[in-house]
Amino acid sequence: MTNDIKVSIKNLYKIFGSDPVMALEHVKNGTSKTDLLSQHNHVLGLQDINIDIRSGAITVIMGLSGSGKSTLIRHLNRLIEPTAGQIDVDGDNVLAYDEAQLRNLRRQVMSMVFQKFALLPHRTVAQNAGTMLKVRGVGKREYMAEAEKWLNRVGLEGFGERYPHQLSGGMQQRVGIARALTSNSPIMLMDEAFSALDPLIRTDMQDLLLELQQELLKTIVFITHDLDEALKLADHLVILKDGFIVQQGEPQHILLNPNDPYIEDFVSDINRARVLRIRSIMAPLEHGVVPTGTHGEVQFDDTLESVIALSDGDTSQTFVVVQNQQPVGTLTMKDLVKALVPRVASQAGARKY
Amino acid sequence: MAYYDFVFDKIGLREWCDAGKSADGPVSMADLLARAGVEQETSALNVPFPSLDELHKACGSIAQSRDVTKGVETGFLAIKDVLRFVLDPLTQPLSWILNSALSGIEATPWWIMLPILALVVYFASRSARLVVFVMSCLMFLAFVDHYDYAMQTLAIIFVCAALCVLLGVPIGIAMSRSDRLQRMIIPVLDMLQTLPPFVYLIPLIFLFSITEPKLYGIAIILYAIVPVIRLTNLGIRLVDKDVIEAADSFGMTDRQKLFGVQIPLALPNIMAGVNQTIMMSLAMVVIASLVSAPGLGVLVLRGIRNLELGVGLVAGFGVVLLAIVLDRVTKAALDRVNSAQPR
Repeated sequence: MTNDIKVSIKNLYKIFGSDPVMALEHVKNGTSKTDLLSQHNHVLGLQDINIDIRSGAITVIMGLSGSGKSTLIRHLNRLIEPTAGQIDVDGDNVLAYDEAQLRNLRRQVMSMVFQKFALLPHRTVAQNAGTMLKVRGVGKREYMAEAEKWLNRVGLEGFGERYPHQLSGGMQQRVGIARALTSNSPIMLMDEAFSALDPLIRTDMQDLLLELQQELLKTIVFITHDLDEALKLADHLVILKDGFIVQQGEPQHILLNPNDPYIEDFVSDINRARVLRIRSIMAPLEHGVVPTGTHGEVQFDDTLESVIALSDGDTSQTFVVVQNQQPVGTLTMKDLVKALVPRVASQAGARKY
Repeated sequence: MAYYDFVFDKIGLREWCDAGKSADGPVSMADLLARAGVEQETSALNVPFPSLDELHKACGSIAQSRDVTKGVETGFLAIKDVLRFVLDPLTQPLSWILNSALSGIEATPWWIMLPILALVVYFASRSARLVVFVMSCLMFLAFVDHYDYAMQTLAIIFVCAALCVLLGVPIGIAMSRSDRLQRMIIPVLDMLQTLPPFVYLIPLIFLFSITEPKLYGIAIILYAIVPVIRLTNLGIRLVDKDVIEAADSFGMTDRQKLFGVQIPLALPNIMAGVNQTIMMSLAMVVIASLVSAPGLGVLVLRGIRNLELGVGLVAGFGVVLLAIVLDRVTKAALDRVNSAQPR
């Protein structure tokens, strides 16, 4: 994972309606979404979005339905045109592209995976996987070989000759992913890619994506409405609500420091032991001294759940945190238990019921 | 005295009316009765509708209804020469194609023609059973000496249906891409579909020589092209929006999208349109025998004209057999397309 910015979204606005430019003035002067709809009959889709998407990382954009997340991802390849703002890909403003440049961007730089798979029903699985290369004008023999390679990679050996309708939903989405990978584009846009799948298959697909990502280091923008999925996949988490960003940052950080009641509500329902990592709550070593009398070593990137299992529920224990065989900090069970309880929202949540 | 006299008297148009009255116009029954001194009762029960004829009685300057039909006729005759000058060369190839199809089918001996048709059926349907069925239908027709007539009918249908597809699919595609064009074309299609088939023939007879095949060719194409246009338009509009969005996101050009996504996905609907088009050409080819279209229709017409019951019924049964054959074959082809992409 590098820290280069691959895609940078700056002051992006999207307003749906007959005269978005007029409506934009109102929004910039502080008119709220509801007022804009009732007084001017325009829908505020996205409001002042600023996101830096790092190269080789998974950026997850999370929000409930109607929060504008699907609208946002469609701005990146300009399936939807913004009302105002700027989108830079590798430093180039995408919004200034003409048709040919835009087509080139869509063919070479970005590939997209869809919630409803959007496979071509009249082409075989292998032909579907090779679609993007075919669109570019690559010869059939070449793109079929490439498609076969990526189909094998996503676990669909021997299915190349079948038709999409002969596959289950999970397998169809594997074809969708293979199609995006075959294009060999550095950026992958995934629009609720796993939302239509049942929970077990969804977990499989998430694992597959993470496994592929370790090796391929694509720049992935992933849209989801599922916080568990977001926390599992995200290197960078952006939470959208009603078209604006409520909070963005490292997911562990958001979980431990929610800055908005909306997010506190959201994160209060999470199995924190499974999501939080030791690195987020450990205490760094004081002056590099490894304390004695600890009860064992735990890995820097492990979940709290694994520590609870290790300690067998004994809350008096202390562990040394190890990263690359080097001790880097300590973790007391007391801190761990504290981290398991959400700070504010639990009470707010409890009052509700 | 006519019923509506008072209207013109009241609004002071009497003079203008009388100026238009011609003394030696055709005499109507009512006039004769009036001259004979038979007074018609006027009561609220038999107030005549103020039609052109009724108003004409009261006011000679108003035209009669027969002037309307006459006006349409003279109007058409006035533009006829210009229309003919433009349309005649444009449609001439249709005559050539129909003529060569008819003479081609006549020149081919039956023992070559039948195997060719069997192959065509097999490639369209991939079903040996259907081939056997089609062959036995055709052989039955040949057995009762209707082979030549049936083949002429088939030849005309093939040519006209092929031209319908050739013209209709592009029109349907254009319609699917522009709502404005769709709004403009749909009333035309509605009119073509509801106009009684005989009505097509009347202006065409005036435009072209009755001995020319294009006369019935045009009538059949106008009548049968509607479903293929409609269903192509519909089929392309019904293509899954998600797939279209995906195609856009891959950077497909409009051309790639049309030939790689839209037409293949609309194919079941387009094929349903082709099936309808073929059936409608068959319906029209019988009527077109009125304007010298050869084929089974000629025999049906002979049956009607000479009251030859048997000739008419056997030929009619032959048309039914052809209809079944054409329908089964196109349906089988449609099923093959459908099974390749279930919905």
